[in-house]
Amino acid sequence: MSDRGLIGLSPWGRRLVTAGCLIWCLISIFPLYWVVVTAFKTPPGVVGGPTYLPFIDFTPTLQPFIDLYQGIRGEFFRTFLNSTIVGLSAAAIATAIGAMAAYALVRFEFRVRLGTGLAFFLLALGGYLLFNITFGFTRPQALLLAFPIALVAAVVANRLPLPGPILGNEDILFWFVSQRMFPPIVTAFALYLLYSEIGRLGFQLIDSFVGLTLCYVAFSLPIVVWLMRDFFEAVPIEVEEAAMVDNVPSWRIFLGIVVPMSMNGLLATFMITLAFVWNEFLFALFLTNSRWQTLPILVAGQNSQRGDEWWAISAAALVAIVPMMIMAGLLSRMMRSGLLLGAIK
Amino acid sequence: MMRNDPIKHVFIWPAVLVVLAISIFPLIYSLTTSFLSYRLIPPIPPRVVWFGNYVSLLQEPRFWNAIYTTTLIAFIAVGLQYTIGFAVALALNARVPGERLFRVALLLPMLLAPVAVALVARMIFNPTMGPLNQLLGRFGLVNLPFLTNGHWALGCIIAVEVWQWTPFVVLMMLAGLQTLPEDVYEAAELENASAWQQFWGITFPMLLPISAAVVFIRLIESYKIMDTVFVMTGGGPGVDTETLTLFAYQEGFKKFNLGYTSALSFLFLIAITIIGVTYLALLRPHLEKRR
Repeated sequence: MSDRGLIGLSPWGRRLVTAGCLIWCLISIFPLYWVVVTAFKTPPGVVGGPTYLPFIDFTPTLQPFIDLYQGIRGEFFRTFLNSTIVGLSAAAIATAIGAMAAYALVRFEFRVRLGTGLAFFLLALGGYLLFNITFGFTRPQALLLAFPIALVAAVVANRLPLPGPILGNEDILFWFVSQRMFPPIVTAFALYLLYSEIGRLGFQLIDSFVGLTLCYVAFSLPIVVWLMRDFFEAVPIEVEEAAMVDNVPSWRIFLGIVVPMSMNGLLATFMITLAFVWNEFLFALFLTNSRWQTLPILVAGQNSQRGDEWWAISAAALVAIVPMMIMAGLLSRMMRSGLLLGAIK
Repeated sequence: MMRNDPIKHVFIWPAVLVVLAISIFPLIYSLTTSFLSYRLIPPIPPRVVWFGNYVSLLQEPRFWNAIYTTTLIAFIAVGLQYTIGFAVALALNARVPGERLFRVALLLPMLLAPVAVALVARMIFNPTMGPLNQLLGRFGLVNLPFLTNGHWALGCIIAVEVWQWTPFVVLMMLAGLQTLPEDVYEAAELENASAWQQFWGITFPMLLPISAAVVFIRLIESYKIMDTVFVMTGGGPGVDTETLTLFAYQEGFKKFNLGYTSALSFLFLIAITIIGVTYLALLRPHLEKRR
C-alpha cells in the first residue's frame, strides 16, 4: 500500500496525524494499565489517591489474587472454570454447525417458499394456542407439541407448487444474520420463563450447562454463518470439482478438503465466538443463579458488594480480562496476515 | 457452480433447528404473554387484557424516558465512534510510524467484557480518588459529579462506549480502505486534486457501503446496551440513565410483571425494526447511485 491517505500533507500535518493516533492509543491503553496496576495495590495504596508506578509510588502485593483464589470474594475459581467450559463448548459447537450451514449456503442451492415460512409461524402459533387453551396442556408442552407439527407441515408444504415468491440462499443467509438484530432481552426473558416452566416438568435448564450452552450456540450462529460464508467462498471451487469427478462424497469433500483449507478462518471464527460468549452478560444474568454462574455476573457483583475496595475489584476484572488480552494478541497476528479482510463485505 | 445433493440437508438443518427453536419459541411465548395480565409476585392467575399492557406502557413516562436515553446514547456514541474511527483508520492506512503497536492496542478494548470495562471506568471516574479527578484537578476542576449527576453520567457512559467500540469502526474502515483501487488516486493526483478533495471525492463515496454497514451494526448493538449501564450507574441517578433493556430487566426480574415486560420487549423489537428499516430506506438511493 502507498501512503495515499496523507498525500499532500505537509510534514507538519503528518506529525499532527501521528500525534493524534498516539493520543488515541494512550487513551485506549491507560485504563488497562490502571486496572493491572491497581490489582497489585494494598489498601493504603488505593485510599491515598491515585498512584501509578509500582515500587516507586506504592509497594505491590499479591494479596488480592490470593484472596480471589481462596474464594474470600466469591467462588472465582469455579466461576472461571464455568466460563471456560461453557465458552469453549458453545464456541466449538457453534463453529461446527455454523460452518456446515455456511458451506451448504455457499455450495448447494436452496429454495424456500415465502409462504412456507409464514405457514410455519402461523401453524406454530395456532398449534400452541390450540394445545394450550383447548386441550389444556401446559405452555411448554403445547410449544413442544406445536413446533414439530409446524415444522413437518412446513417441509411438506415446501414441496407443493404453492404460489408466492421463492427465497434463495441469500435470503436464508439474511434470515440467519437478522437474528442478531433481535434485542436479546426479548429472548432472554422469554427463555427464562420457558426454561423455568420446563424445569417444573422435571428437566432442569435454568442454571444448567445444557440450557446456557444451547442459548449461546443459538446466539453465536448468526455471526459464525456470516463469517464462515466468506471464508468458504474464498476456497477455489476447482479443487472441489476435481474431487467430484472422482466421485468423492460431499461430506468427505467438506471434511477432507474444505475444512483444512479454511482452518485459519475456522480458528478466527472460533476465537471471536469464544470472546463473545466469554463476555456475555444478559443471558447469564437471567439463566444462571449459582452453580453455573459465569465470570461477568460475578465480576459485576463485586461492585455493589465491595464499595471502594479497588484492589479486589481490579483483580476480579483482571481475571475476566486477561484471557481476552491473550486472544487479542493472537487475533492481531492473524490479522496482519490479511486473514480477516475477506470476512468484511 | 451450485451443486444439488440431498446431503445438503444434513449440513444446514442443525443450525436452522437450533436457531429456529431458540428464536421462535420465545417469540411465540412472549407474544402471547404480552396480551395477558400475568404476575408471579404476588401470584395472580393470568387474565387476557389484549392491548392493555401496551396502552399502559405507552402512557408510562419512564418508558419514554428509557427510549430517549437509549436513543441519545446510541446516536451520540455511534456518531463519535464513526468520526474518530474513520480518522484513525485513515491515519493507520497512511502508514504512520508504529502502526503495529497501534493494531494490538486497537484490538484490545472491544474484546474485553463490558462488565469489566465498566468496573474500571467506575474507578477512573471516581470523584475523589480517581486518576481523572487528579488530571482535571490540575486545571482547577475538582470533584466533578461524574456518575452522580444525570448529564455527566450519560456523558461518561457515552465515553466508555466510544472507548470500547471505536476500534471496531477502525478495523472495518481499515479493511475497506485496503480494498480501494490505486489507479483512481493516481488519476486524481494528475488532476492536482488536494488531499481534502480526494477524500470527499473518492475515499468517502467509495467507502459509503461499508460505512453504512458499520454504522448500522453499531447502532443496532448500541440500542441493546445494558451491562455497561448496569455496572456504572445502575440506571441512576433516579432513572436518568435507564436504557430500554435495563428498564425491561427491572420490570421483569425485580417485579416479575411478566405480561408487562413481554409487551415492553415487543415494543422494543418493533422500535428496532422501525429504526433499521428507516435507516436502510434512507440509505438505499445513495448506495445504488454509486454502483
